[in-house]
Amino acid sequence: MSTESAFRTSGAESVFRFWPRHNEAIYERLESKHVWLEQALRAEARGGDPLEHEMILNIGPQHPATHGVLRCVVKMDGETIEKSVLDIGYLHRGIEKLAEHKTYQEFMPYTDRMDYLAPYANNVAWCLAVEKLVGINVPERAQWLRMIMCELARISSHLLWLGVGLMDAGAVSVFLWTFKGREDLYRIFDEVAGARFTVSHSRIGGLVADLTPEAFRLIHQFVDDFGQEIAGWEALLNRNRIWIDRNRDVGTLTREEAVEIGLTGANLRASGEPYDIRRFEPYLFYGEVDFDVPTREEGDSLARYFVRLEEMKEGLRIIRQCLDRLPDGPIRADDAKQAYPSKDEVYYSMEGMIHDFLYTDVGVAPPKGAACYQAIESPKGELGWYLQSDGTGNPWRAKVNAPSFTNLQGLEHMMEGSLVADAVILIGSIDPVMGEADK
Amino acid sequence: MCRDTYFRQGRQVTALVEMSTDAEHSPPAEESMPSHRALDFFFTPEDAPAAGGDNPLAQPTTQVPEIIQALCDRFGKAILGVEEYAGEQTVLVEAQHIADVCRFLKDEQRFLYLSDVGGADRFVEEDRFEVFYNLVSFEKGKRIRLKVRVDESTLIVPTVTGVYRAANWNEREVYDMLGIRFEEHPDMRRMFMPEDFEYYPQRKEFPQLGIPGSLPLPPRTPEGPLQYDPFPTAHEGPTPKSYQEPPSQITEEE
Repeated sequence: MSTESAFRTSGAESVFRFWPRHNEAIYERLESKHVWLEQALRAEARGGDPLEHEMILNIGPQHPATHGVLRCVVKMDGETIEKSVLDIGYLHRGIEKLAEHKTYQEFMPYTDRMDYLAPYANNVAWCLAVEKLVGINVPERAQWLRMIMCELARISSHLLWLGVGLMDAGAVSVFLWTFKGREDLYRIFDEVAGARFTVSHSRIGGLVADLTPEAFRLIHQFVDDFGQEIAGWEALLNRNRIWIDRNRDVGTLTREEAVEIGLTGANLRASGEPYDIRRFEPYLFYGEVDFDVPTREEGDSLARYFVRLEEMKEGLRIIRQCLDRLPDGPIRADDAKQAYPSKDEVYYSMEGMIHDFLYTDVGVAPPKGAACYQAIESPKGELGWYLQSDGTGNPWRAKVNAPSFTNLQGLEHMMEGSLVADAVILIGSIDPVMGEADK
Repeated sequence: MCRDTYFRQGRQVTALVEMSTDAEHSPPAEESMPSHRALDFFFTPEDAPAAGGDNPLAQPTTQVPEIIQALCDRFGKAILGVEEYAGEQTVLVEAQHIADVCRFLKDEQRFLYLSDVGGADRFVEEDRFEVFYNLVSFEKGKRIRLKVRVDESTLIVPTVTGVYRAANWNEREVYDMLGIRFEEHPDMRRMFMPEDFEYYPQRKEFPQLGIPGSLPLPPRTPEGPLQYDPFPTAHEGPTPKSYQEPPSQITEEE
């Protein structure tokens, strides 16, 4: 066991007792970051900072407004944020490293824990990436069911964003209403997968089980009722003066800026770029259903609010079409080398049991040198997996392109020049999930 | 020992392989004894990667022959090759030219959006590390992947943050996880791990369970010393309480 003296001493220990080099690097970065010329001149005209307007503030990592464990180190001039440095990694679990030590199927439940507000979408992203790497044909019914569940996951994630975002702005009651909606969704997930939160329902090559009639009843009921709920929230919020004043012109990004700093998902579409993986590279049957990709031109927090609200409605539209067009048939690929055999086969035939055992032990083994990237439009944006295979049952390299990580990089830029009170709104409006950003 | 056997269930498979080599070199067994030739054990079939457009999830967006042609015309020998799998084309670029190639793609081929940058450790191969770039063109509806390879001895790749600002955090992540430094990157700090950490965890030689004592952990009490042992309760007994419990009000009679 190494001791304290084994670590290089940098002289910062007197200031930062814990991880001195790390904190020192953050503050150095904050100091060395660009200063806007006008601000520098203004400070100079004031004769430096005689009134001590400037201060450095640590927001997070333990702060309810940071939606998890995000740490923002900001330098403020009065109430304006001059520079900001984000420090992430407080929830880093090395999920890519873990993937290298698991079989493809074994790793799937870990994806639930990434974007834990939309676990189903993560399952599907992983399964699709592996299916592309191996070249598995998934039965149609499974694909339609995956679409239904992905859209429910999108609504669930947006509901949390709406409730928590409004709570950041000071309205607690909407939080309770959206959580009622989430409770309905959790009931569906519970009926479908047997788990409310970490569903792990999708399998490589299909799904673990078909949906029960009760699940279909719940989904139908949700789709029928939820439109009214949204209409109620719209009536409350769309012309709500406090909500609009808090959000309008906060964190405005032009289309060029948004593309340049690589925003993704609803944040990019709120700036006017209609980039949606469901349209750009249609996976599942998104190429066959009728839906709009909502975009706005303003690029501020209010535009992001409108885009997400529209996305929920489009989600309902997609679910309705899926329910109408849902074909009968198997829900998992009928090839024991590619997907788990059904439990009937496992329990009543020797071959089925052997295959089940082999699939658990080794699973699919893509050819050596295979590498592919498969992205889906998760609620947060482009969620992609880049997989490399070395010919064994474990991925040689699994790299996740996490939308929250991508968006947080934009947050650093958006926070500079905004008010510190708006920082809370901004964090809420780009909708980061630290489980995903920290990998 | 062949590489595949190293990765899964190594011991048993290795034993089989050794047995088979022994059998080849040892003198032929007596005819009365049945010859116990170990079965040839191939853990997985060694197929060549299928180039195919028959992949059910292949997308037309990742087929970019005309852009590859333009790259070859412009950069010639700096383009080392093209790989294809599942209908996705990957262009191998010489590491020094990656920023120029990105600049060309952005300015002249309208690849305005950088979707992803990542690195991989190829461990036993030549040019151990690779960095890949995932670029998207909204106008053309195309996605292209560039890839550079660097050797363990150099470990320096020119940054593309000058071309795509979005690469900033992604390159920091690659540096944090694999230790590849990006030349002229404006902010080459670690992304997830603290600066006090001295290893690169995504490298293949880094153990999955981590290295105990490699990072100071928070003290167990507010005033106590920093922890270096991740499992103190196992070694030093239960966690000390950080506060004094008030004496119980309940008397024995009650």
